[in-house]
Amino acid sequence: MQKQDELLVNVTINGKEIAAPSSLSTIQALWHAGYPRVKSVGCLEGVCGSCRIMVRRKESNQVSMELGCQTLIEEGMQVNFLVFPTPTHHTYDLNTIKSSWEVQGRFHKIFPEAEHCRHCGGCNRSCPKGIEVERGVELASKGRFREAGELFIECVMCNFCMTACPETIAPNHVGLFSRRVTAYFHTRPGNLISRLETLRKGDLDVKK
Amino acid sequence: MSKNNQGIAYDKALKKYSARKEVPAAEETLAPETLLKQFHPDYFPDSIINLKVGANKGEACHHQLAAMLQSDARIDESDLAGAPIIETDILVIGGGGAGCAAALMAAEAGARVTLATKLRLGDSNTVMAEGGIQASIEQGDTPQMHFEDTIKAGHHFSDKELVAEMVMDAPEVIRWLIQQGMQFDLDKYGDLLTRRAGGTSAARVVYYRDYTGLEMMRVLREAVLNSNIEILDYSPAVELLANESGHCAGAVLSSLKDCSYNLVRAKSVIVATGGIGRMHINQFPTSNHFGATADGLVLAYRLGAKLRDLDSFQYHPSGLSHPQHMAGHLITEGVRSAGAYMLNAHGERFVGELKTRDHVSSAILRECVEGRGITTPDGAIGVWLDTPGLELREPGMLAQRFPKLIELGKKSGINPLKVPPLIYPTLHYQNGGVVIDPNGLSSVKGLYCVGEVSGGIHGKNRIMGNALLEIISFGRRSGEHAAANCHGVKHKKISIEHLSDLRRELTQANMPMDLQGPLLFPECAKFENDSDYDGLHKNR
Repeated sequence: MQKQDELLVNVTINGKEIAAPSSLSTIQALWHAGYPRVKSVGCLEGVCGSCRIMVRRKESNQVSMELGCQTLIEEGMQVNFLVFPTPTHHTYDLNTIKSSWEVQGRFHKIFPEAEHCRHCGGCNRSCPKGIEVERGVELASKGRFREAGELFIECVMCNFCMTACPETIAPNHVGLFSRRVTAYFHTRPGNLISRLETLRKGDLDVKK
Repeated sequence: MSKNNQGIAYDKALKKYSARKEVPAAEETLAPETLLKQFHPDYFPDSIINLKVGANKGEACHHQLAAMLQSDARIDESDLAGAPIIETDILVIGGGGAGCAAALMAAEAGARVTLATKLRLGDSNTVMAEGGIQASIEQGDTPQMHFEDTIKAGHHFSDKELVAEMVMDAPEVIRWLIQQGMQFDLDKYGDLLTRRAGGTSAARVVYYRDYTGLEMMRVLREAVLNSNIEILDYSPAVELLANESGHCAGAVLSSLKDCSYNLVRAKSVIVATGGIGRMHINQFPTSNHFGATADGLVLAYRLGAKLRDLDSFQYHPSGLSHPQHMAGHLITEGVRSAGAYMLNAHGERFVGELKTRDHVSSAILRECVEGRGITTPDGAIGVWLDTPGLELREPGMLAQRFPKLIELGKKSGINPLKVPPLIYPTLHYQNGGVVIDPNGLSSVKGLYCVGEVSGGIHGKNRIMGNALLEIISFGRRSGEHAAANCHGVKHKKISIEHLSDLRRELTQANMPMDLQGPLLFPECAKFENDSDYDGLHKNR
């Protein structure tokens, strides 16, 4: 389906100078040029967070954090793929939190750095989804987990904010923790519970 | 797609298009079976052949998949000399929803679990699932209705026992997911909201926006990372290992990081490697993840596992057709469930939008073949998904319920509130797969296969929401069963001796041995055995 006379643009990806059609993403451009990259390639739809890149556009001194599968190449663009960071050191098991009254206390034990946020805004700037990351961390620190979690609906766990945070807060994991405790303690749908109860009584079965 | 033609040019068709509140429903004259036989890709001439070797010898299979199932192995004995052996109880291959659910259940039951994944944990089709997950929870709906809808949509090819187990599991699956910390869309009283899938009799799909899979995967991944499950990433399985009696006893992993092989010796193995989209069956674009290359089917088949329905694939009706760099990207069926119409180049509806996926896709292909499609300058074709019309009827609903669609609009430069996206069927799902029992066990002892790699549940066509249900239902079952049955198992000798039999069979059947499987990565990535996985050097 590719047009024959498509315009080629020149980009630098991981230090390699590449000419490729402008309709390609940075990942496709790398493949096009014969580099067999499979690391940091995932869903190719912008929801897995694997293809983390740093981008500098022509005649700009701004560097932005983006997802490689979602970024089309442009003339003079410089792109560097970033390694995916090692998992965060924060660990927790939801089943050990006895009740929702304890969540805030436990949160500060699990994520002790969260209240030391310097409000540098690095997390916000690094987020390819435009999430108000810093505000999310602040809300979680105040125990407003439902509100904090709502801010992270679009989060694909690319971990850019984790890399950017000078206090090693792991803001995306704070966001996910906020979302998880909200479901774990507060999602109690009447229609589901009622159906589970009917099933428990053995009142429903399937005739094959 | 080359047979389509004489459609109406994009600009011209768009000028003719206007969002209308009501458009008369389609009058369908063709019998459903005739529509499928004439237009569904499963019936493309010469696409199906008979397998020549293995447990399904003589049975029908798509020729592209057949080539892979009957390919030569990537390794032989000499590759394994000196390879380190990792010991574990249960080896899970695949880091998507099914693999994570299996690993979590097995670990919770006290087993030592190792999870190997080709890319990173969570890289899977699960993360891309949008529509939702089926569970009969509404009043007036029953597991029986769920069962019947599934059987009927699959054209009565499903394994009824598997379907019955799955639909009865469904409410508990949702509860389990909530207890892992997964959120769902709720009404103001906290009840789960439901939407109706194409080809079903009740609103039964529970969901989280059009991010159901993303929400599920980030929660399950976090749960696995916070457990004692050992994770081996960038380690695709290239062969299964068997003991002296042919029981599955582990796998050979190829470590992409250092181009070396590792052996994992396990009491049993759970294969959860997903589907085949990136093999681009019939040259269709795909909605699938980069890693969906039929690896598990190939490995299981070589070890003697019986497969089924290898001639049946799902083409999702609403793949994006334009712009070209996003071809194949999915727009959830939820949008049609919410009331969006599909229109041809003349602005007419041509099919019941909520019929089964195979029916709707066939109707789109018919419109394109018969000249009522919309063609773009770069050679793509498709029909309109009338989102602006839905926005007229239900202002604000798309933005609220379908953030991924809105995001897709930004990336494609086509605002779905104003301009209808051009859609064309996209290769979405492998309906068949490894034959399993209700615990996920294949016909090979010690080998479980769960999720898309397995077959039997969806017959020859799947309904929206049954894939996410299947992966958790059977993922959990396999993890539980494997953990309960791993005590006292001891494999003395583990080997790849089954490959000698395979090679003998292939030679006797005069098969070409030039192709090596499993594929591991799509052709576009140009990956070879000793490639640099960072992509910093070209292949030698």
